[in-house]
Amino acid sequence: MSTKGTHIPDHLKIPFAGITPAPSQEKGQDLFPTGNWRSIRPVYRDKLPPCNNACGTNEKIQGYLDLVKRGKYLDAYALIKEDMPFPSVTGRVCYHPCEQACNRGKYDEAISIRAVERFLGDLGQALTHDVVKAGAPNGKKVAVVGSGPAGHSAAYQLARLGYKVTILEKSPKAGGLNRGGIPDWVLPAHVLDREIERLVELGITIKTNVEVGKDVTWDDLKKNYDACVLAVGLTEPNSVRAEGENKDGVLYGLPFLRDIGMGTSKAKLGARVAVIGGGNTAIDCAREALRQGAAEVTMITVEGNSKEMPASPEDLHDMLEEGVELLHGRAVTAVLGNGKVEALQLHPARFSGAINASPITVDRDVQPERFAVDNVIIAVGQRASLKWLPDEFKNERGTIKIDRFGRLGDTNFFAAGDIVQLGSGQPLMVVNAVGDGKRVAFNLDKVLRGEPLQPRSIPIDVIVDLNRMNMTYFPHFPRVQQTLLPPASRRRSQDEVIQAFSEEQAVEEAARCFSCGTCNACDNCYLVCPEPCIARPERSNGLYKILVDYCKGCRVCIEECPTGCLEGVPELDFDTGVVRMDTAFAISPGLHGRQAEELMNLGDRPAKNI
Amino acid sequence: MPAIEVERQILPILGSPNQGARFYNPELPSSEPFVPGHRTCAGCGPSIQYRMTSKASGDNTILVGPTGCMYVANSSYLCTPYNVPWAHTQIGSAGSFTAGVAAAYEAMIRKGKWKGAFPNIICEAGDGSASDIGLASISGALYRNHDCLIICYDNEQYANTGIQASSRTPYGGMTTFSPPGPLVPEAKKLFPKDLARMMAAGHPHCYVATASVGYPIDLMNKVRKGLNHKGAAYLMVYTPCQKGFVYETPRSIDLGRLVVECGLYPIWEWNPEKRAYDYSFRPQSMRPVSEYLKLQGRFGHLHAEHIATLQKFANEQWRMMGVQLPEALIQAADAKNLVNMAAAAEAEAVAQTL
Amino acid sequence: MATITEQKKRTVRINGCVASAQAAKYADVDVIAAYPIRPYTATMMALAQMVANGELDAEYIVADSEHSQLSIAHGAASAGARVFTGSSGVGVQFAYELYSPISGSRMPVQMMIADRTLDPPGDFGSEHTDALSTRDMGWLMGWACDAQEAFDNHLMGYRIGEDRRVLLPQMVCQDGFFVSHITSDVELPDSGQVKEFLPPYKHPYPLDPRRPVSHGPQIMPEQGPPLQLERARAMEESMAVIEQVHEEFARIFGRRYDPWVEEFMTDGAEVVFFMQGGHAVTARFAIQHMRERGLKVGLVRLRTIRPYPTDRVKDVLSKFKVVGVIETNMGLGSVSSGGVLYAEVCAALYESQQRPLVFSFMAGMGGEAIVLKEFYWMTEKMTDAQKRGKIEKRTHWVGFEE
Repeated sequence: MSTKGTHIPDHLKIPFAGITPAPSQEKGQDLFPTGNWRSIRPVYRDKLPPCNNACGTNEKIQGYLDLVKRGKYLDAYALIKEDMPFPSVTGRVCYHPCEQACNRGKYDEAISIRAVERFLGDLGQALTHDVVKAGAPNGKKVAVVGSGPAGHSAAYQLARLGYKVTILEKSPKAGGLNRGGIPDWVLPAHVLDREIERLVELGITIKTNVEVGKDVTWDDLKKNYDACVLAVGLTEPNSVRAEGENKDGVLYGLPFLRDIGMGTSKAKLGARVAVIGGGNTAIDCAREALRQGAAEVTMITVEGNSKEMPASPEDLHDMLEEGVELLHGRAVTAVLGNGKVEALQLHPARFSGAINASPITVDRDVQPERFAVDNVIIAVGQRASLKWLPDEFKNERGTIKIDRFGRLGDTNFFAAGDIVQLGSGQPLMVVNAVGDGKRVAFNLDKVLRGEPLQPRSIPIDVIVDLNRMNMTYFPHFPRVQQTLLPPASRRRSQDEVIQAFSEEQAVEEAARCFSCGTCNACDNCYLVCPEPCIARPERSNGLYKILVDYCKGCRVCIEECPTGCLEGVPELDFDTGVVRMDTAFAISPGLHGRQAEELMNLGDRPAKNI
Repeated sequence: MPAIEVERQILPILGSPNQGARFYNPELPSSEPFVPGHRTCAGCGPSIQYRMTSKASGDNTILVGPTGCMYVANSSYLCTPYNVPWAHTQIGSAGSFTAGVAAAYEAMIRKGKWKGAFPNIICEAGDGSASDIGLASISGALYRNHDCLIICYDNEQYANTGIQASSRTPYGGMTTFSPPGPLVPEAKKLFPKDLARMMAAGHPHCYVATASVGYPIDLMNKVRKGLNHKGAAYLMVYTPCQKGFVYETPRSIDLGRLVVECGLYPIWEWNPEKRAYDYSFRPQSMRPVSEYLKLQGRFGHLHAEHIATLQKFANEQWRMMGVQLPEALIQAADAKNLVNMAAAAEAEAVAQTL
Repeated sequence: MATITEQKKRTVRINGCVASAQAAKYADVDVIAAYPIRPYTATMMALAQMVANGELDAEYIVADSEHSQLSIAHGAASAGARVFTGSSGVGVQFAYELYSPISGSRMPVQMMIADRTLDPPGDFGSEHTDALSTRDMGWLMGWACDAQEAFDNHLMGYRIGEDRRVLLPQMVCQDGFFVSHITSDVELPDSGQVKEFLPPYKHPYPLDPRRPVSHGPQIMPEQGPPLQLERARAMEESMAVIEQVHEEFARIFGRRYDPWVEEFMTDGAEVVFFMQGGHAVTARFAIQHMRERGLKVGLVRLRTIRPYPTDRVKDVLSKFKVVGVIETNMGLGSVSSGGVLYAEVCAALYESQQRPLVFSFMAGMGGEAIVLKEFYWMTEKMTDAQKRGKIEKRTHWVGFEE
């Protein structure tokens, strides 16, 4: 008997015939944690998608598009409502900087984000009770002067924070530029009315026909409210400084649109109308002029060609479809006619420096043109009317002087919207005003609670490089187009020109979103890992976990992440608690002996559920 | 005592991850029969396949591991990653050991010695086993139609022994048994066996298919189809090996797509009921073979005419699949058109000194 | 669907192959792995008919080679099924790769071997070399000398091999043709006796999805020695079980075998023949003949060669003056330059205080019977040596020398 008297030392104990008990799914094969093989570790780091970044109010666009993909429209709507009070408005009127920034635009066609937002906004409007509720009352009162986009946004956010908000609006109807600057065939009145209703449902009081400087003074505001947001906008139209500009039949852009929007318009247009200006307001005026009965409408711009015009290319295109003519490189030097405009005197002109941001040089040496018109609508921008404002808060641009947080000095007065954004370099857009109003509301809240106002310090990583994502997961798909009413008929009607997405179209278009740099729980990393060492308690962004004890740093997950939210960080010193192994074998002595024990007791364990 | 009817599981087929423009994997089973803590190389293609296969199969599974990387690397040293029963068997015993397990369960269930649904019995054989030494045993198992699934994880070489040529190594594939040298500039002259077609043609009653780790859901569905098929099933799966192919480790899945997009690894199914091939699988794009070859060190020695030869081979595969050949690929099969690539006459062959 | 009827005790006239098949049927094997090669094939033919008739419910697999047969057997035993397989000659060697893995993984596969001379060239006659060449691979091994003993050895083999204390595979061997194809009377038992003697097979760690384990993971070199030691221990500790089982067999079936060696007419013998297998039957006749003529000769038949009963062989053979080892096998280049049994006998006798002289007789080779004349010739050689007190050469080629 050769084996008589033999005994296997503890460190060499192994299970019977080398048969090993199975490792568990919970712990993995913990005799051999392979984590310390790696020199690079994958980490999940959501980057800022360019759409969220470009949006004036930083809507969580990627987030709500993802929810639409999943059929969770109500959740998507609620997500927009965190930053944007009226998606059914911006879903119609916004010039969508998000779509300009959309990475898909570099790949095939940008996502039609605005149309999806409109789908969700309209869905939200149909709810009997909105998903947003007023916050628990904190006993403080805030006045918001102006019910345009900035004021609407500020009031909305303040009500959600628990403030008692009163909006003071000088016009007979609330809405500001939403009402008065945007035609019905872009934004139907009933849609805006419903949004105003929602403000009232939040407990906000709206007082119309109340003008600051006339019906209420600076001191009234100071006395009767804990804080105030000035969102008065730019109400005075700019002049072209042409001789005879005061003749009859000369209209100004925003007042023209505003009167129509308020229902107080008395303008009667003749057959030939000229519109002066190259911006979005000018375009709206030109198209509105057609609908108000003009037979021929001509837009006259200083800009030398269409590309130089600040107007939205789509709107320009739609305008041209409707038959508006375009004249470039001219300025109006005089308005001709006998008490009433009969013609315009035009001279060649150009911007002396940067387009739309420098003085206009007029070439008066050339013979001027005579352009016959029945009416002219001058739409060359707006300026502020701030007689009521204490001088210390006026700045050299003619707008309100604020610090970077939107605050007037040390007061509890804040200002937001076009009134402070004019000349800031930011284009004047509804969405920028909304963002401004939102940020100012949060800053106001901080001040009233005694918290310090601090600028943002965390660096933001906006993902714009398609090489950081994996394009093989995104075959080319064309953009889903919204249908438009035919030009011939629409130029005479106030019907909404651009049609809404159906549910199928909204989902189809949302499906094209790359979810740039942001995990959307596609499960690809989880699926391709060779170990596998990616775990998730449920399938949701933020719940994927790399099991660092096992990850070998192969980086297949990083490579196959379609959205690029996975990154590799160098890791040579194992600060993640990875078990160091001194040998290439089981990490400590006696583990095989443990296996032997486990095997012997195999029969006592409950049977695995299969 | 009367014979007991053997109950067999039917596994549902997963939905496609491509839903219109959206990429979103279907709900995956939560069970993880293959767990981390194994010595395979980082990014190991066969490991990726193994995990997907186990997940598709679930907990009522028995795995058979003939000698190869998926035996040695997975189970060393007494540290197996299998949460389901697994047994090592000899490299040549792939089909026969598996047949024994299958037969045992048929008898034990029928005779009342084991209660439950017939387990999914899966053999994971490398191409060395499946195409060479274990070919006869696998053919026997398929012919006898045991209710099992035999998978050839094809890394086109004997990897575990340090990268040697197998009958699946492609033309031009460098291995330690087929190195390039002045006498053999292409390194490997022989074209590989058309292994999966041999299995389909020779055993038409079996479900046979090819797959690739580049298409995980397709792979998992084929595993399930094979397991659902009552009788023997065979899968040949392209599983790249970083050690042998010499590529950047994160590219394992990508190579799995590229090899198909270049026509070098056609993805098809053999339908045993219809007794016909299904060639309907189409990759997203068609590429010249050079786009696949250039990512791998094992093809680094190839000259233009060798690449053209491979393109010709790929073009034949496309024709078999019924795909119209674009002009570019026809051109690429002529060495004259492969610009900027060294020709044999011009390139200096550097002999390896041992 | 198989309807297994209860078997009644009866005597039938069958050959060794059919006796083996009957034993597999009584043992209610679950999986049979068959592949044709003479002379064992008749066992598998008989089993095929039994399965087709519904007398035995088993998966009958026609493998694609002997290597596959043993692999199928390995797989089936690992899964928890009772397995039966077999082969002869070069077929036994074709499966060689599997023998160590099967015994090392402690799977009690049973293999029926009707031995056959190895190639070259093809010779269907019996030699023991085929099975003997695997004797170091860890299988229990022994030769039956007739069909009854073959039947009994198969049943005992399962009982021993499947015992929790053993868990080793068994090669149950019989001489090709002499045992496998010559009919004799065999008593078949009641099914009830077999049920009492042979419990169902239950491996402690089978491949069962409800209790998952891994069989045969790769190890590192330092884990090798403990595994090898345990294999050696299993082989050694099987000896006690072998003795116990032979005892039980005798009690239940009424046939008693010495587990290790069977002595025939050794009382007062001075020279003995030492051998295994079917030639013992003719040997007994020859010894009786010689005894009647006053020659003090006897027979010691080795019944179990693995595990080798070293001490028993030493004790028994030390009683005699000369031992003539009859080798029906080839050990080319071996210690005796003849067969392989010689060396093991000498090693067993090495520590004996009374070592007999030992001869190696190459007889019965190639499937030839050992005739009476040859027994006389060998006995004379042994008695001559006894007189001179020494042997002139270790190995004699019987029939080729004066």
